[in-house]
Amino acid sequence: MGGKPVWFIACGVVFVALSSANVRSALAETIAEKVEVCAGCHGQGGKPIDAMTPIIWGQQSGYIYIQLRDFKRGDRKSEVMQPIASSFEKQDMLAIAEYFSSKPWPDLGQPRSAKENAERALRAEHSVGCTGCHLDQFQGSGTVPRLAGQSREYLTKTIADFRTRTRGNNPGMSDLMLATPPDDLAALEDYLAGL
Amino acid sequence: MNSYSIAYATLFGLGCVLAGPSGAQEVKQDPWSPSREAKIAPVTQAQLDSADKNTANFLLTNGNYAQTRFHPARQINRDTVKNLHVAWIFQTDVKESMETSPIVVDGVMFVTTSFSHVYALDAKTGQQLWHYNHKMAPVTTFCCGPNNRGVQVLGDLVYLATLDSKLVALNAKTGDVVWKTDIADPELGYSETMAPTVVKDKVLIGTNGGEYGIRGFLRAYDAKTGKLVWNFDTIPEKSVGVWATKDATGRDMHRDIAAEKAQLAKSGDPYAKLGGGVWQNPAVDLATNRIYFVVGNPSPDLDGAVRPGDNLYTDSLVALDLDTGKYVCHFQYIAHDVWDLDAVSPAVLVNVRSKDGKSIPGVIHAGKTGHIYVHDRKDCSLIRFSEAMVPQENMWVLPTKEGARMLPGANGGVEWSPIATDPDQGLAYAINLHQPMHYRVENSAYPNGKLWLGGAFTAIADEKQSGNITAVNYDTGKIKWQVKTPEPMIGGILATAGGLVFTGEGNGKFAAYNSSTGKELWSFHAGAGVNAPPSSYMVGGKQYIVVGAGGNTQVNFRRGNNIVAFTLD
Repeated sequence: MGGKPVWFIACGVVFVALSSANVRSALAETIAEKVEVCAGCHGQGGKPIDAMTPIIWGQQSGYIYIQLRDFKRGDRKSEVMQPIASSFEKQDMLAIAEYFSSKPWPDLGQPRSAKENAERALRAEHSVGCTGCHLDQFQGSGTVPRLAGQSREYLTKTIADFRTRTRGNNPGMSDLMLATPPDDLAALEDYLAGL
Repeated sequence: MNSYSIAYATLFGLGCVLAGPSGAQEVKQDPWSPSREAKIAPVTQAQLDSADKNTANFLLTNGNYAQTRFHPARQINRDTVKNLHVAWIFQTDVKESMETSPIVVDGVMFVTTSFSHVYALDAKTGQQLWHYNHKMAPVTTFCCGPNNRGVQVLGDLVYLATLDSKLVALNAKTGDVVWKTDIADPELGYSETMAPTVVKDKVLIGTNGGEYGIRGFLRAYDAKTGKLVWNFDTIPEKSVGVWATKDATGRDMHRDIAAEKAQLAKSGDPYAKLGGGVWQNPAVDLATNRIYFVVGNPSPDLDGAVRPGDNLYTDSLVALDLDTGKYVCHFQYIAHDVWDLDAVSPAVLVNVRSKDGKSIPGVIHAGKTGHIYVHDRKDCSLIRFSEAMVPQENMWVLPTKEGARMLPGANGGVEWSPIATDPDQGLAYAINLHQPMHYRVENSAYPNGKLWLGGAFTAIADEKQSGNITAVNYDTGKIKWQVKTPEPMIGGILATAGGLVFTGEGNGKFAAYNSSTGKELWSFHAGAGVNAPPSSYMVGGKQYIVVGAGGNTQVNFRRGNNIVAFTLD
């Protein structure tokens, strides 16, 4: 969710076609079949094809649901995800969210942050209070996403998008990211990716 | 059974902060955990009414309906406390922030954890009797941790409010669900972390959500059926008030009233998404049939430009009629708050000295500002406020885009932590945070139930944080004694007739102090942050002190999953 690689656009086109009213009855019955198309970008085993695409396997189900809802509403902008989410009803979104949430979080093999960098990241965390929402070890809960082990490139882009309010579906996060010095955010991105 | 030794407890939580994630917050315990029946007689209203005199039990979140957190047992006292030792440790299945107030009924203890789990334990041994694992809805929206502060029992039901904003009644003997009611929509920012207060067949419950643009409330539900009895909106449709320019202590808050009036003409009364959560239990005045509680911050927290007016009844003490939920009186501490220095620590009913020296029914509240406010219970009017318990600097500088430094930081002073009182000494005991912060303002439209801070408050990295335990004479407003602590204090405190106060710290220390002098008399290291309010009770002729040691999300203290009970040899 959020990236714009060619693969993803292709997925979106395919899915929109499948979801049209005329062929709705032809939709696969099981949720696993229903979300098969997602693997084209988010990965068959949960490892995204492109580093700018987020991990959604093992992500918090409430968070996945809210993002799908926001794509549909247009609160979160994405040329790829908006057409896909626009065909979903609430129950679809909840089912998809639950499906991906129950999958194991994949290990991208990103290196652990160096000690000095990690200490800087934790100082920044202490100042802003990230774990007040993202919880201990950045595991997330409910509508708050897991950040630990997320793709570094995706984290960097998301934080940048919050700072410019390009990502507009959580102004509270924009406020917090704007209050944090860029060097501290770079340390946080590195630290989180390596968890 | 989940009882472990002291050695296990002290080893617990030695993980390095730089270590990687340990997985989910839920910890798998011994799979052999047979359910047993909790053998307790139904709790009567008469028992609850006289809870303040009951040495055997701890029946309400803050000890009794007046919320004094003063326990009448005196077996553990200034002479004997040196012999206090661990009776048992129970480990829950959830290693995350722990704010529970243990409730004890006839030798059965009820505790809760983050994510709204409930356990019934044998209060003498710590043995698990039953465990309620709430099936959480996928959408939860909460500020400051997935906490739960406890349950209450009336009759044969245990009442719980859950993170996904449901009210649940459980069979006290078995933990089975008897009824369940939706309180509000989590997708719009509502959640529950407080313990219900149950009185006269009504379950009183507020709501969280002041960081998400909710419209707050306090409600009464029928204790037998879960049906709504009455609703009080903490934000009235006319929320503008009197354009107060000074806070409760008389300091100018630097409001731009002209700009606010212009905004009001443009956008109208902002009541519908103005916040005003109720984080903690109301106190119940049985003599007048009134309840007293405090209301939290306006939404968005730091950006006042979009919410003209005093933002009634945010940051206020409010009194209602218990039977009808009708408004009786209020007192607002900070009108048009743009610092999140709101009112969260529960109100306490004690007799106080009026301005002319008479003993009258009073109500006191410890603020994030660091003052203890003393009110006349008759009309909510302010009699006095205490000396500041924490450093105050640069109040009330307005937040800026670059960040304006002000003390106290946005957590207080006194956060949600309940205070304790000793009526014989006329003392209130509060635990405080000292966290220098920058206050920053940003402007954004209402985000449909998402986090809506209107800026950020950030701890200043190179300024030292600390905490304290402070005893305040509420008849004079003077500080009697203060103990400094190395870290900010959050969790709660208990006073006893044994002349002691008990409280814990984020570093795992749990200690007893002489309630007259503040002298430390005993301590224990729990291995995880002790950031929950202690309780006391007696079983088998022995007095116990019990407290949760699970750390804290808001201040990021070391997590754990321990309930630790202490007694004498």
